Amino acid sequence: MAIAEKKAVIGLSWQPKLPATLSSANTNNNGGVNESQSQRESSLLWRPNTELVDGLFVPPNDPKKLNKLLKKQIKDTAGTSWFDMPAATITPELKKDLQLLKLRSAMDPKRHYKKSEAKSKTLPKYFQVGTVVESSTDFFSSRLTKKERKATLADELLSDPTLGQYRKRKVREIESQNRPAGNDKWKMRGRQSQKRAKQRRH
Amino acid sequence: MRPPRGRGGGGGFRGGRGDGGGRGRGGGRGGGGGRGGGSAMRGRGGGRGGGRGGGRGRGGGGMKGGSKVVVEPHRHEGVFIAKGKEDALVTKNLVAGEAVYNEKRISVQNEDGTKVEYRIWNPFRSKLAAAVLGGVDNIWIKPGARVLYLGAASGTTVSHVSDIVGPNGVVYAVEFSHRSGRDLVNMAKKRTNVIPIIEDARHPAKYRMLVGMVDVIFSDVAQPDQARILALNASYFLKAGGHFVISIKANCIDSTVPAEAVFQSEVKKLQQEQFKPFEQVTLEPFERDHACVVGGYRMPKKQKA
Repeated sequence: MAIAEKKAVIGLSWQPKLPATLSSANTNNNGGVNESQSQRESSLLWRPNTELVDGLFVPPNDPKKLNKLLKKQIKDTAGTSWFDMPAATITPELKKDLQLLKLRSAMDPKRHYKKSEAKSKTLPKYFQVGTVVESSTDFFSSRLTKKERKATLADELLSDPTLGQYRKRKVREIESQNRPAGNDKWKMRGRQSQKRAKQRRH
Repeated sequence: MRPPRGRGGGGGFRGGRGDGGGRGRGGGRGGGGGRGGGSAMRGRGGGRGGGRGGGRGRGGGGMKGGSKVVVEPHRHEGVFIAKGKEDALVTKNLVAGEAVYNEKRISVQNEDGTKVEYRIWNPFRSKLAAAVLGGVDNIWIKPGARVLYLGAASGTTVSHVSDIVGPNGVVYAVEFSHRSGRDLVNMAKKRTNVIPIIEDARHPAKYRMLVGMVDVIFSDVAQPDQARILALNASYFLKAGGHFVISIKANCIDSTVPAEAVFQSEVKKLQQEQFKPFEQVTLEPFERDHACVVGGYRMPKKQKA
């Protein structure tokens, strides 16, 4: 999905002047154009029609403005020291995964992690999501079966049966703590409380 | 013998040595020992005295093939961390699609469709990785650096150093033993920035025509006179203001005195040879009685303000 968006962004600096009949002929297509126009508003390269000259984008004369424009177009990377690792576009699933990584110490009681250097809730900017490739000589103990392979980290953790029990127990504990006080106070328990109830009634 | 490491000893790399030998295959001690035992080999790769762990161990880290990880830049330049259920140190693979010593790889598909690959760097097999995880302040080996690597052995760590320095850097890997030098040469065939040299590091004059000035010397020779070897090579190849990283194995220098005393005497020897040690870290959870010393060579005098 992200790739498709990227492709839509590229090459919108100018727009051919199409005859009006062409766009009106297909209403369905028209809707699509409107949708993409809303995307264009956010992109760097898009200019409103008033700024186009004969439907073509002309770079600004002012070198200051031109430099600013060029700077905006450079892809954001971690720099040459880390071989230009690109900044990833953060999708909701990716965001979940990153948050999960921050809180992974809560997933398994028997596994301990080093403190992460960034204690804050800020998510990393430069990162890549990858899949571990086992070597062909690796035994079954060091590879996942096809069924166990999942698309995201969250899916992987959720499908792990050993973690499920602990997670369930912890959720119950927290829920019972946070539950508002019930009617336990007024419940009959043994003779003493019955007596007290009688007194209260009279 | 190293005590068996419990579960989750340091967070990251559990069971780098054959899953802790749980199946009675010997926790990585067995096979490696043969490498250093023979007295006929007086070279560095052979003379390690008692092999290191690793060797045949299967399964680098607990990361299973097929699991998802997030790769982030590490504090050190050119090094990355892969975070998943476990953490692992990784380097960007210079030769995508190839593993050097059957280590696991991490393949990444970028948004623009290009593919990148990272290789997992096992601290149980590499002292440099152990030093990085031990929290050394600066390894000085970074993209574009020229590195002289003494005691390259089979080239497992050298391959990671060549990953770090990237296509613009160069690694001169010196190894005396022909047997492990064969693996080194085979590795260097695929990696254009590695120059293998099968020579005795005690005689740098023999390979002076191959090696240019370098920024960093990494020394892992484990010989009693390793300080002298390092000084000799530094006088030939290391630039003034360059840096050195040396791994010291206490047993190989003097097994009769405590390790701390050995490290101290080695550091003193280095200081006499115009080296200026900056810091010393122990490689403790990964190697026993090892220390890694990092410092500068012929450092320029500080300007008075």
